Amino acid sequence: MLPTGQALDDLPPRPRVLLVDDDEVNLLLTAAALRERGFEVTEAPSGSEALAQLSTRAPDVVVLDALMPELDGFETCALLRATPGFESLPVLMLTGLDDEASINRAYQAGATDFFVKSSQWSLLDGRLRYLLRSSRTRLELERSKAKLARAQDLARMGSFEWRRDVAASFAISAEGLRVFGRGPQDKLDFIGVMRMVPADDRHVFLRLLRDVVAHTSVLITDLPLTLPDGRQRVVHIEAEPEFSEQGAVSGYTGILQDVTDRRQAEDRIRQLAHFDALTGLPNRRQLIWRVERAIESARRGGHEVGLLLIDLDRFKVINDTLGHAAGDELLVEVGKRLRSCVRHSDQIMEGVLEGLGNRSHRGLEAVGRLGGDEFVALLPEVADERDAERVAQRVLDAMREPIFVGGQECFVTASVGIAIYPRDGQSMADLLRNSDVAMYAVKSQGRNASAVYSPQLAGHGKQKLELESALHKALERNEIVLHYQPKIDVRAARMVGAEALMRWQRGNVLVPPADFIPLAEETGLIVPLSEWALKEAARQAKLWSLQFGFSDSIAVNLPSRLFERTDLVEHIHQCVSAYGVPHRSIQLEITENNLMKDLQNVIPSLHRLNEVGVEISIDDFGTGYSSLAYLTTLPISEVKVDRTFVRDLGITPQSSAVVTAIIALARALGLRVIAEGVETLRQMEVLHRLGCSLMQGFLFSKALPADELERWIAQTVLPRKAPWITQADGSQDVVRGQR
Amino acid sequence: MTAPTPAALLDPEAIRRLRELDPSGGNKLLERVVAAFSSSLDRLLPDLARARETDPPDFAVIRHVSHTLKSSSASLGATTLSARCADIEAMVREGRTQGLAGQLDAMLQDIQQVRTALAALL
Repeated sequence: MLPTGQALDDLPPRPRVLLVDDDEVNLLLTAAALRERGFEVTEAPSGSEALAQLSTRAPDVVVLDALMPELDGFETCALLRATPGFESLPVLMLTGLDDEASINRAYQAGATDFFVKSSQWSLLDGRLRYLLRSSRTRLELERSKAKLARAQDLARMGSFEWRRDVAASFAISAEGLRVFGRGPQDKLDFIGVMRMVPADDRHVFLRLLRDVVAHTSVLITDLPLTLPDGRQRVVHIEAEPEFSEQGAVSGYTGILQDVTDRRQAEDRIRQLAHFDALTGLPNRRQLIWRVERAIESARRGGHEVGLLLIDLDRFKVINDTLGHAAGDELLVEVGKRLRSCVRHSDQIMEGVLEGLGNRSHRGLEAVGRLGGDEFVALLPEVADERDAERVAQRVLDAMREPIFVGGQECFVTASVGIAIYPRDGQSMADLLRNSDVAMYAVKSQGRNASAVYSPQLAGHGKQKLELESALHKALERNEIVLHYQPKIDVRAARMVGAEALMRWQRGNVLVPPADFIPLAEETGLIVPLSEWALKEAARQAKLWSLQFGFSDSIAVNLPSRLFERTDLVEHIHQCVSAYGVPHRSIQLEITENNLMKDLQNVIPSLHRLNEVGVEISIDDFGTGYSSLAYLTTLPISEVKVDRTFVRDLGITPQSSAVVTAIIALARALGLRVIAEGVETLRQMEVLHRLGCSLMQGFLFSKALPADELERWIAQTVLPRKAPWITQADGSQDVVRGQR
Repeated sequence: MTAPTPAALLDPEAIRRLRELDPSGGNKLLERVVAAFSSSLDRLLPDLARARETDPPDFAVIRHVSHTLKSSSASLGATTLSARCADIEAMVREGRTQGLAGQLDAMLQDIQQVRTALAALL
């Protein structure tokens, strides 16, 4: 039965009561009354029996008669409190109405409350529920205090308070003591805290404290201190004034927190924000700041500033061949050497320079890393450009010693461009751009030197710089296209293949290969460009095979460095597989010069390519100094007679002698011969007569976009309308006649 | 079922509260309480008699008996008896022995009357 008028709230549905009374009548009646009011009652006729009951099943509340023979209620209560786990179990002591002494003893024995015996059961019921509720609340409060203490502990946080006009008025919580490296029992007063603070910081803090108290304001500060075990910590302190009811300041309460880790992280962030993570040198941002300050200072002081842009020569090659880790190692060592070339100062400077004296700009001098393999040396005051050139020479000298990385010695050189404020630029951006122009001039004149900027350098360098930057983006913007020049068998008057030639469609301008291929080779962009070309050629071969049954090959020009890559065969395999065309759909052209330059490195690739069916053609044949002995061992299929010989055919007897020799040689080695640059019918005629019927040149067609080439086949070759077709038909008779 | 109960002996309000604890009588609470009272008297009264025989009397026992009877008789509505027990307990606690014997005799008489009244209640 539920008790009437009693909300059960959050109490257990049937709170357990241990009822202890030596008087049977009372025990019986009280138990009956409590049961009827929704309690679960266990009866115990004596204190000792009650204590025995406790160990079997813990009650929610104990009701204890004060006066009992042998173990009375007070003794029972005291014993109960001494039992672990029952320190805060609510105990209600039953006393007589006229028994004041018992009431006091009850509290002393640890009873939670007393109750005067009465047969008004609802009063007892109400009291018990109140006790249960307050005990629950107290338990929750204790749990939450424990949680708070734990949370503060984890956050390395504690609290403190300071009472005004009270002796020993400064108190720190146990968690706060731990922040200061003390145990909960340790005594730590204000002076003790101040002793841990370095003298300078202490004076500042005490001055601040006086100020805060005088103005009744809020205290927020960080305090560095040394703990008893020698650890250096930073403690953050925040305190607010407390006011008495009369409105007077009664003291301060606040929190303190160990923020050492956060401070270290902040320092680290500041470090990262201003210094290059790899070399530890000032980064671009810090450099910009320093250069700007140096310019300001120079403007006021009327002196000159030197800016040196230092770029390593062929760093890409090192990165590509030794790997990025070795490249990084090298940059670190270069950074160290460059640092020794100037009066480098590492100081982070964010504020103003005033107050440091008028030579303070000297402290800006530094070497920094702009990114990649680009470094900058800032000379905040130079007498003239010769000063800067001397530092540049020091930089070049510093590179002379080989650098040991990736298990081998590397010889690194640098190109240095110099710009002088105010002559070569008024701002950081101007100086950087012009030092870049000077640096590029050094690169184009053979590297490993320095140059001071001059406006004459600008025109060429700037254009090239723009070109390079645009070329970087050309591939992803789909600005690179392939045009195709047909290879013709004039005997049959048909196309027997095509050479793919790269074109750069830059806006409305078609950039000729001569204007960007050398740049691409210099910057290494030739690798992704060539890889793209292979894939595109495979795609086109597939398209043409579907459109007009094309089954010949498309030749792609590759630089020798691509042949050195071990993954070339795999890459070609992927390209042809992706479009479902045979390997022989792709032919590779390598110039004779390129081939001979890196012959030893290239040969393994040639063999592997040959094995999978990719034919190799030697371009510009006859211009180099090929060892004929080598030629016999190389797995090549075709030689292309250089256009210079073709041009002079029928004009100088030497050219036809060379061509005749090449054709004879090729025949002997079982190679195809194809002539490039055929522009006139006369040239065609002579070549044909000499026994070379494969040709390529403007006579037939220039390199055309794929769709135009299709049109050319449909409108010119198939209807046999071109003059070279009739001519070829005629000369075939000549050949036949000769045989 | 029962003879009329002398009003002075058992407070009807107390009896009503007693009955309320076991309205249907299913738990035989009243019977059990009366039996408990009776058995506790059987235990206490011989103790009391022995305590009075010694010289000086054993006041601790007298105090315990009067204290116990004070609250159990109050629970049964025996207000006269309860008041007398309280009086005796206070006298012993305060060391007033004058007239104690008379009060104890009166208490024994009260007990007899209460017993009779309780028996009539059942």
